[in-house]
Amino acid sequence: MKKTVAVVLVLAAGLALAGPVVAQQDTLEKIKSSGVLTIGTRTGSPPFAYINKNNEWVGFTIDLVEMLVKPSVEKAVGKSIKVEKKESTPPTRIPLLTSNSVDLIAGTMTDTPQRRESVDFSLTFFYTGAQFLVKKGSPIKSINDIGGKRIAAQQGATNAKIIREKYPQAQLREFPDQPAAFQALLQGQVDAYTNDGIQLYGLKAKAPNPNDWDVVGDFYSEEPYGMAMRKGDTKFKAAVDAGLKNGFESGKYFEIYDKWFGPKGELPYPMTPPVKAYLLKQIGK
Amino acid sequence: MSYTFKWSVLWTGESGRWLLQGLLTTLELSALAWLLAVALGIVAGALRTVRFAPLRWAATSYVEFFRNVPLLVWMFFWYFGVPPLLPRAVQDWLFNHGAEFWAGMLALGVYHGARISEVIRSGIQSIPRTQFEASVAMGLTTFQAYRLIILPVALRLIVPPATNESLNLLKNSSVALTISVAELTFQTRQIETYTAKAIEALTAGTVIYLVLCLSIAMIMARVERRYAIPGLIARVGPAA
Repeated sequence: MKKTVAVVLVLAAGLALAGPVVAQQDTLEKIKSSGVLTIGTRTGSPPFAYINKNNEWVGFTIDLVEMLVKPSVEKAVGKSIKVEKKESTPPTRIPLLTSNSVDLIAGTMTDTPQRRESVDFSLTFFYTGAQFLVKKGSPIKSINDIGGKRIAAQQGATNAKIIREKYPQAQLREFPDQPAAFQALLQGQVDAYTNDGIQLYGLKAKAPNPNDWDVVGDFYSEEPYGMAMRKGDTKFKAAVDAGLKNGFESGKYFEIYDKWFGPKGELPYPMTPPVKAYLLKQIGK
Repeated sequence: MSYTFKWSVLWTGESGRWLLQGLLTTLELSALAWLLAVALGIVAGALRTVRFAPLRWAATSYVEFFRNVPLLVWMFFWYFGVPPLLPRAVQDWLFNHGAEFWAGMLALGVYHGARISEVIRSGIQSIPRTQFEASVAMGLTTFQAYRLIILPVALRLIVPPATNESLNLLKNSSVALTISVAELTFQTRQIETYTAKAIEALTAGTVIYLVLCLSIAMIMARVERRYAIPGLIARVGPAA
């Protein structure tokens, strides 16, 4: 009986994921034979990864993969490869990895201890924290003002979890993606939308009237972004990390940062000295 | 580096409570939507078979409009499209009192009502016209003929396809998570967020849906047998 139950459960899991949960092969071997590095990334998270006005799938994280990670992986497999992009969202990204549908999650994923039990993370490539996006003049100025207020969050995000646990007096509304949550804020279904500060600045910049919106509050969470890989695949992780490390050392990373977040970038967001120090500390500088 | 299952995430922490909450929300949402869908389905299905053309057109427009637009769009319509038509104070009140649940219920009920009405129409149209004529000849009005003769027979005939629609409705209630209704699928994702164990959480959700749907199918099979009209429905092989 126990065995039957186990078989049914495994079958159900397989069906639910529309893909078999098979033993995983070495990612570098897989890339070597297919010539393709498949990444899971976002479509609506400017400027990290999004579809731009010309219908191109671009962004800061995608550039990091193309310019830093790809050359390093090419070196490791000894041939030139292509980068293919698939859409991933917070609820789908770990299943996409474990089912071998993608090799690397390169979007806006926060490196957390729980997630480290299921996946491995690269070096941190961006550092931000959760804040609130509100209509100008809103009584919400920080996390201390959210009691009784309707707060939208993205399902699967770390900040939704913090609000549920530490601020149960807020009415949390969780949406599967950023556009729906932002629409709810625009129309007044919610009083504020919480997410990583940098993403809120991105939304504000793209809003119909950017000046109607404010990003408020201190960081109430720490959100170091990393690229996620299947657990235990040390060779692939070494190749990804080497690419990022090389980017930090050569300054290429900071050029890419400047392209997206510099004064003339898609979203001006100057890197603060503590953040720069945090990033460089990872490579022992 | 193969995946290590850790089923204990389903009963440690708050997972059990979340699953239960999600299950209750799913049942509540589906039950209310089902009542609405059946009511709309019976009315629209019957109206599509009446003589008076304007009523037929009205019912046809409802059916074709609502069943031919994706359910996801209806969810957004009822949640994002309808509230702005109301006064600001009413909107605020609604948003503080579970607007997303009611929007999800309306989306699900109205959409499935259109689909159920087609099932009911096919049931009505499978009854020979002479039954209706005989009822009228006995002195019943059109409304009485529908209420006392046509619908009671039609509703018995359509139990299998109606069961199908009901199961679809239950499973489609998961689309409501797009407008932040915390139903069962939402809660399985919640467990994934907390534990990063997606396969275990999805499996729990899958098993719960499976058990729910199987129970409904079994109940409906009993209903079908219990209310079958002897001699009216040809049975080949063992019943249901």
